[in-house]
Amino acid sequence: MKKDPKILYQEVILRHNKAPVRYQKMEGAQHHLDAYNPICGDRFSIFLEVANGVISAIHFHGYGCTISKASTSVMVEQLQGKTVEEAMKISKRFLAMIQHKDDEEAPLIRDESLLAFAPARDFPGRDSCATLSWDELLRFLQNLHS
Amino acid sequence: MTGESIRDKFPIFNTYPDLAYLDNAATTQKPTSVLEAITHYYQAENANIHRGIYRLAAKATDRYEQTRNQVMRFLKAPERECIIFTKGTTEGINIVAQSFLTARLNPGDEVLISAMEHHANLVPWQMICAQRGARLRIIPITKSGEIDMETIDELLTANTRMVALTHISNTLGTINPIEAIIEKAHKQDIPVLIDAAQSVAHYDLNVQSLDCDFLVFSGHKMYGPTGVGVLYGKREWLEEMSPYQYGGDMIRLVQFEKTTFAPLPNKLEAGTPNIAGIAALGAAISFLNSQDLSVIQKHIQELGSYTRKLLAEIPDLRLIGEASHVTGIVSFFLEDIHPHDIATFLDHSDIAVRAGHHCTQPLMNLYGIPGTARASFAAYNTQEEVDRLVASLLEMKAFFA
Repeated sequence: MKKDPKILYQEVILRHNKAPVRYQKMEGAQHHLDAYNPICGDRFSIFLEVANGVISAIHFHGYGCTISKASTSVMVEQLQGKTVEEAMKISKRFLAMIQHKDDEEAPLIRDESLLAFAPARDFPGRDSCATLSWDELLRFLQNLHS
Repeated sequence: MTGESIRDKFPIFNTYPDLAYLDNAATTQKPTSVLEAITHYYQAENANIHRGIYRLAAKATDRYEQTRNQVMRFLKAPERECIIFTKGTTEGINIVAQSFLTARLNPGDEVLISAMEHHANLVPWQMICAQRGARLRIIPITKSGEIDMETIDELLTANTRMVALTHISNTLGTINPIEAIIEKAHKQDIPVLIDAAQSVAHYDLNVQSLDCDFLVFSGHKMYGPTGVGVLYGKREWLEEMSPYQYGGDMIRLVQFEKTTFAPLPNKLEAGTPNIAGIAALGAAISFLNSQDLSVIQKHIQELGSYTRKLLAEIPDLRLIGEASHVTGIVSFFLEDIHPHDIATFLDHSDIAVRAGHHCTQPLMNLYGIPGTARASFAAYNTQEEVDRLVASLLEMKAFFA
């Protein structure tokens, strides 16, 4: 039975995939993260500048599928200018949503760009596409914070 | 019998009538006879093997050992003692690397594999080489995904202790000239292991005429169950090998102070095996014997070339692996659409293909790509399914444009 690809590939995702936010390498960035999924070969470099507890700049570059690229683009768009604490909170809530743990984190996500990735939960193997960069970033932020 | 006419033998297509299953290089679907062999074993023949005195135990042992004879005939092996049951191809290769090669490998020695090997026929050798201070060397491939035969002579050196080679590449579909390479290696007394995982189902294998030293394959890629496979080895090598697992069945005499080992094949088969799986493997061999293998082989090769022909017409699509001797395995890459997206989109139309590096990461690196989508065919696939694949790809291109 045919399924509608638009369920997974929503407009906002296609848009971010076509024109990803701050998709450029940052030479000499203060921090350089490597988000890598060995199963599929998706790999993004995430470049960050953190000053006074604020993510003053965040860029990304690399190779990935529509979902992982769009997800990283949304992450970069949402988290620039946020404090480390705020960024951690948003990341945790996004990951909780993808991992079906909505009830653990309140308030629920209302942001349209983040909600667009919810369907990835129901497509085999695609949830890890959505969480790839967020997972890597959260780990980094948690280390920074402690 | 191929295509539509053989489909009824495979119950999964009753469960999923719209399924275009194009991932046979990953695993094949099973005919009813194979499923029935498992049930029959547990309903009428189940007991532990080799040790029982009662009649049911004899039935179990007979089933197990008859299957060994079947495999021996299937591979045209000289003796049943040369047939060792394993969990699969990966285990078979690991056994040879650990139990055969380690003892023979010294610092400065070399092991030779090709650039197109599956991780199972790469990592074990890499690890043993690292352990023993030996060097892993790689036979390069040409742009069309064929072994560069011009390099073989210089790569077979006085230090080469082993060659391990795939018969058919699971990513490129390339059929390698294994007879020629075995001959060259043997001129210098270098033993050769052949990974027959992708060839066992559809290509006639004769270990005596190939004269390979070892050959490995898995049941699940030849219409048989998962969890079983075969390691064939020349008797002299298997006799030389010390067991890699110790325990029941592989012993002769056990005392607290010391233990002696059973003769072949039991020496290399510790513990209770997947007897039902072996019974089903036998049924899979019977199934293949009841078919005309040359007809099936032609069928999958034709599906492969038909697919290549149609895919070549799609803009921005690149085929990986265009050897002159090639089987029904087709890997492709779209410039602007990631393999995962291809696979998800095709799944929407009930078409199953694999996406990723296909356990050949170094090969992907050589081509400068992170992965491909791969369609691979078996006896039950049809031209209509290929047409569906192509139509779906074109729809997908329009969607992402």
